[in-house]
Amino acid sequence: MSTQTTPGTEPAADSGSTAAEVAGRGESLPGKVLRILLTQRIALLVLLLATVLITMSQLSANNYLSAPYSTSYLAATLINAVPLVMLGLAELLVITSGRGGIDLSVGAIVSLTGMVFGFAYGEWGWSLPAALVLAVVFGGLCGAVNGGLIAYLGFPALITTLATYYGFSSLALVVNDQRPINSQPVQDLYSTASAVSLPFLPDAFPRIPLGVFTFLIPTALVVWLVLARTTYGRRLYAIGTNDVAAEWTGINVARTRFTAYVAAGAISGLVAVVTVAQFASARPDSGVAGNGMALPAITIAVLGGVAITGGIGRVAGVVLATLLIVWLNAGILLAVPGNAGSQLQLFALGVVLIFAALLNGFSNRRYGGTS
Amino acid sequence: MSSSILTPAGRPDGEPAAVAPQDGGRQRLLPSPVTGQEMVLIVVIALLWLALSLATPAFFTSGSIVPLLVGMTPIALIGVGMTIVIITGGIDVSVGSIVMVCSVIVAQTMVGSGLPLPLAVLLAVAIGGVLGLVNGVLIAYGRVHAIIITFGTLNLFRFIGLQVFGSSTVEGIPRTLNFFGRGEAGRTLGIPHSFVIMLVIAALAWWYLRHTAGGRHFYAIGGDSQAARLAGISVRTRVLMAYVVTGLLAGLASCFVLAQGTSSLAANVGSGLELAVIAAVVIGGTSIIGGRGSVLGTVLGALLVQTVATGVTQLGWRSQLSDLFVGLFILIAVGADLIRQRTRRAS
Repeated sequence: MSTQTTPGTEPAADSGSTAAEVAGRGESLPGKVLRILLTQRIALLVLLLATVLITMSQLSANNYLSAPYSTSYLAATLINAVPLVMLGLAELLVITSGRGGIDLSVGAIVSLTGMVFGFAYGEWGWSLPAALVLAVVFGGLCGAVNGGLIAYLGFPALITTLATYYGFSSLALVVNDQRPINSQPVQDLYSTASAVSLPFLPDAFPRIPLGVFTFLIPTALVVWLVLARTTYGRRLYAIGTNDVAAEWTGINVARTRFTAYVAAGAISGLVAVVTVAQFASARPDSGVAGNGMALPAITIAVLGGVAITGGIGRVAGVVLATLLIVWLNAGILLAVPGNAGSQLQLFALGVVLIFAALLNGFSNRRYGGTS
Repeated sequence: MSSSILTPAGRPDGEPAAVAPQDGGRQRLLPSPVTGQEMVLIVVIALLWLALSLATPAFFTSGSIVPLLVGMTPIALIGVGMTIVIITGGIDVSVGSIVMVCSVIVAQTMVGSGLPLPLAVLLAVAIGGVLGLVNGVLIAYGRVHAIIITFGTLNLFRFIGLQVFGSSTVEGIPRTLNFFGRGEAGRTLGIPHSFVIMLVIAALAWWYLRHTAGGRHFYAIGGDSQAARLAGISVRTRVLMAYVVTGLLAGLASCFVLAQGTSSLAANVGSGLELAVIAAVVIGGTSIIGGRGSVLGTVLGALLVQTVATGVTQLGWRSQLSDLFVGLFILIAVGADLIRQRTRRAS
């Protein structure tokens, strides 16, 4: 196996819009700004995020909101970002692996692994680290079912993960007869979901939920390191861009793709622990209730600039897209309180997603850009 | 480097549209009316029905078969449209939300003004068609992958539906739609009307897809849309049509859903329906990559899914187990399809 990637498999995400830059020499400043916004998803997301924050702060300053849109409120809503970012990263890995990669089963894995974790930690008296490892391993095993079928047997990802979605969510409901597990140790886990004030920082600094530090940041860091700094990351971009070419360069395509699905499962296992802690209860439908967790995660990934055709996607895009949605939702809840607000969130999510997708298509045609 | 011994697997991403296979030396223009997958499905369903009627005497009675046939109609009906969409290489995950919007608007209008049956159906179908048109325009002219657009419209339509709901449920829905229900009013000579309507529509779609040039265009688009465009097919119009038809059928299906429900309608109507429909289509042997598939398979797939659900309940097993079986059937169906493709290519 080769330990270095050939120049031909350079992931498009990192090489950026070199072609467009060459073509764009000598254009005016507004044209340049427009091109960067249209071709660089990160830039667009930063602009949208800034727009949301400034608009909401203005509304807040003029007392249009039911509560202040303050930094402490924004920090508190970050608890919603934890599962969203992590599952978004899971989708980033599998979608980037190409050949129609997608994972509809992440929510079902969260449900099932949550129950397994609940049994181990809440009923069998395992220690927290042991139960945590079990959750990650079990989630990885669920991902291995997907990955084995998709990478080695050539099943289409959409259908395979639809089937395992049914299988895992059904098992999660049956395993404890539809009852949640909320014994004392599980209820005590709730403290890990509470907010902490950071040491070394003044009290005025907003209190950020602990889950951000224990789960979100480590996961994002690891995924970023793997994608941007390891051979595996280069291989993943390579097989997502063109898997026949990647195979000719000596990359084990099946194993690389398989690993992506296992990693997505393991991350879902971690999310299961977060979810159990957040609800202080291992619920059998935690990951599939309502619209489930998979659809928002895929939405976040696509909004973050992950190309559904594979080979393109960055961690920063997923994180920024999540912040945009979470803080937009937080603002909507204050502007339109109650039921109407949560309905408006659906509208906002749909509009932002379609807008981003159409913009992608437009900028691709205009600039031949990448993301 | 070990690239010298490597051969690329060379799995093609798009299967060529199976238009003219050599079948035992005879040259045919079309595949046989009942393909391998459908034959297998018929056998599996027959075996299941046999096993169930031996296991529980209650299964093979009209009190059990009629609800089964009525229960499968919404999935099969939307499945007809979804089959066309998937044949073109697309997908529509917003059908559950379309059903929700149509059923809540029709329910509220019936409560408010005592809408007669034909107008209620017309209203549902019209709304479904408009929502399908939204999907179709965005997908055909936006040139964005269908799954992204329909994920977006799933949220948008759900928002519209919840807005119409206002409070959490619609109460006191009149029984105008009993004609489609599973009760006495929904049957003629013991045969449920909704099932017959579904069969007629499915048969029309089957004939259209198989025996008209327009129908074959959908397969051509799914096989290779670029080639189809160069061959003079109006790809955009066809794709638009596929989503509009799916919307229209989802609208009609929402009438069936209402007829099967009680006098109150909750906001969770239709949620998860899209996955059940896609499952039925895939179990029926339609290739998710596009270019291959049949409406007959989808109807059989829906029948299989509903049989499993009924069987699990009647055997006294936990009803949640039926999803596990649906998942297994999907994997078996896709696996069988893959094996058939490989043997076809090898021979």
